[in-house]
Amino acid sequence: MRPQDLRAKSFAKYPPQARAFAVANLAVLRQVPLSLLPILLREMIDYDWRFPVEQRVLTRQFQYLASLPQPSFANLMAPFAAVRLPAAIGKMDWVNQPQRFSEQLSGLLWSMQQMDAYRAAALTYQKTLEQVLVEPVPAISRLSIVVIGQGVPHSDRVLFRKLRPHGTIFTKVQPEDGMATLIGVVNDRAREHPAPYAHWYIDGGEPEPGCGLPQGVTLTSYHALAPAALKELNLTSRFVQQSSARSGVGPEAVQSFMAGLGPSDLGLHGDPSQTALRHFEVNVLTEGAGAQVFSTTFVQWTAREALRRAQPLTLFARFAPRQRMAPMEELLKRDPLTQKTDPEGSLIDADMGAYYTWINQQRLSGADRSCFLAWYEGHDIAVAIGPGLAKGTVSDSPANLRKIVAWMS
Amino acid sequence: MIENLRQIAQQTAWTRRDFLRSAAGAIGYAATSHVSPLHAAVRQQGRKTVVVTFGGGARDVETFAPSGQENIPHLIQELIPQATFCTQVVNHGILGHYVATASLATGVYETFDNFALVAPNHPTVFEYYRKGLGRPPNDVWVIAPSNGFNRIGQSSGANFARGYGAPVILPKHLLNAALGEHPNRGAFNFLLQDSYEDPMSTPVLGHTDVPLSRLTDVLHLSVEDFTRHAQTLSSADELSVYVMRQLMRQFAPSLLWITLHDMDVAHAGAYSLYIEGIQRTDRLCGEIWRMIQNDPEYHGRTTMFILPDFGRDSDMDASGNGFQHHRTGDALSRTTWMMALGPHIRQNTTVNRPLDSVDLVPTLGALMGFQTPGAKGRTIVEVI
Repeated sequence: MRPQDLRAKSFAKYPPQARAFAVANLAVLRQVPLSLLPILLREMIDYDWRFPVEQRVLTRQFQYLASLPQPSFANLMAPFAAVRLPAAIGKMDWVNQPQRFSEQLSGLLWSMQQMDAYRAAALTYQKTLEQVLVEPVPAISRLSIVVIGQGVPHSDRVLFRKLRPHGTIFTKVQPEDGMATLIGVVNDRAREHPAPYAHWYIDGGEPEPGCGLPQGVTLTSYHALAPAALKELNLTSRFVQQSSARSGVGPEAVQSFMAGLGPSDLGLHGDPSQTALRHFEVNVLTEGAGAQVFSTTFVQWTAREALRRAQPLTLFARFAPRQRMAPMEELLKRDPLTQKTDPEGSLIDADMGAYYTWINQQRLSGADRSCFLAWYEGHDIAVAIGPGLAKGTVSDSPANLRKIVAWMS
Repeated sequence: MIENLRQIAQQTAWTRRDFLRSAAGAIGYAATSHVSPLHAAVRQQGRKTVVVTFGGGARDVETFAPSGQENIPHLIQELIPQATFCTQVVNHGILGHYVATASLATGVYETFDNFALVAPNHPTVFEYYRKGLGRPPNDVWVIAPSNGFNRIGQSSGANFARGYGAPVILPKHLLNAALGEHPNRGAFNFLLQDSYEDPMSTPVLGHTDVPLSRLTDVLHLSVEDFTRHAQTLSSADELSVYVMRQLMRQFAPSLLWITLHDMDVAHAGAYSLYIEGIQRTDRLCGEIWRMIQNDPEYHGRTTMFILPDFGRDSDMDASGNGFQHHRTGDALSRTTWMMALGPHIRQNTTVNRPLDSVDLVPTLGALMGFQTPGAKGRTIVEVI
């Protein structure tokens, strides 16, 4: 099928809202080159369980595309139209399996040495959208809090090395009631600025009580999702064994299988109002390499995806010790929650994860007003970044975490 | 998108220009290379070459950038003072480990599916070497990290007469065969893991048809000795270096290629494990160089090249997830380095002009005295 052959009935298998969205934007879709179109459909096909921000961004994107005069539209699409694709790929069911198409496309671009050109086209497209569809600055400054080092009573490492140049290091943090203080900060923000999926708590272990749905906070944790992760790995392993017995299996087929899994496949149920969260959790587990087996990877990847997709006002991410390294064969089969842990290694993972979380927050609107705090749990060192604090400085004055949060903005 | 990230990106660019200056600062003065024609005229006969790929995938920021130098003390303190160091080696090909390593070995950017069990399309340096100099099979060996690499020794044959390839040894396969029904087989699984990038579809090795005679005939090791030694090792790359040592003793091959791979554990997203992998690879590079120096067959006549196959994604590229993968194709993931050491190599010297990953093969040809007509790269004159 070619893009210009799309009809309303082409989207008959889409969920209701996604179908309506596709049909409403059919005229645009027909004009998008095949090298880009399934990428857009990947966003669209999941419309029903996308976060509100994602739905808004997708809507604005198509409004913009529809508003463009034909020459401008053609100009924007020209780099994608220039991508040479073999005829065979057009025969794929890219309407209903855009994920699979994307994986095939990626392989083709590499093998046909068009990846650099495609990458340039994608960056130009993204830049154009960012310039035109400026995301509104949030009503309050965004705040991300990352807590690292659980289970490490002492460390000689120089922590937060990558974050130090961007903010103030506090060396005499009063750690008493630190977690309760930070949870209080998160809950206060959720209460004062309630909105769906605007405030997140991600825990690499068992979450602290008193911060979750009743407080208006979206909560997800490795402790809660580890059984789902194990289930996913078991299902995938079974798929690989069955496929291998027949004709062998490649990474693309494995990815496609995992992409087809839904919340019910992984035993993820719960409040119907949290359907978007359940699908998000499935995406985290099926798209995030390592997030199934290492809690540190889970927290970093989940924070990244939450920031990218939900664009929250508040994100509270707490790392916990991950299981010790073992042969992959064992990691993929065993219950991660019952293994010996590697707290020191996890501290290193989390330190990098904190840096990545700050970077990902800085990609969102209002970055110049955003605030970020990373704290070594139970200890006296933290780094704080925000418009109210100097960069690259050290404060040796005693301070509690509530004060530091207040100083940031 | 915002000024902070832009500034960091600029710092990253600075890092690439200045990282060697910084590294050189740690060891003293490093000269910029000037090519001497007399140097290139040194007799090529009897030379040996060892190529070590510092795989799979290391970034500047964890290696030669100021913040990363603590991870590579052996490269910085022991090897660079003796080396000509090329600060910009750019890989313009596919950033998959097998296809990229195959490209290093053919001097042409191969375009096959990285996960397919296929031979390179273009002639390999091993074929050029053997045919060009009339060398026997055991004069060239490849030690490869995983099943995907087992056809890297010889091209598909479309562009070159068959029969001149290198024997490829897969230490994991050998160990797997040696273990057989070993009662404590599970304890060796960490040496047998075939892929970190795609662990679901490439699980730990099962029973293979690698004949045990290869262990005894080629390496002159008993099953008991091999498995006993394997028990003392902590990683697959250590096993590879152990096998390399045996090959050097048995055959003293003149062209020896070893691909290290431990650091690709980064795909699991645990930064600490990635750093451990780099530190281990650094240690093994120092060990390999000492093996060369302590072996009379190699001492004084061996050139060693060390180079990553490619880097990993930048922290600043929103389409990636930093160190974890090598999927974006950004500049950081493509730009690496190379060092050359040996009796004919200028010491403590840097080459700052941009080089290409496929320059390795014609350089090996020029160094050892054989033609590489199909290779697309250019000879790195500073190291011949």
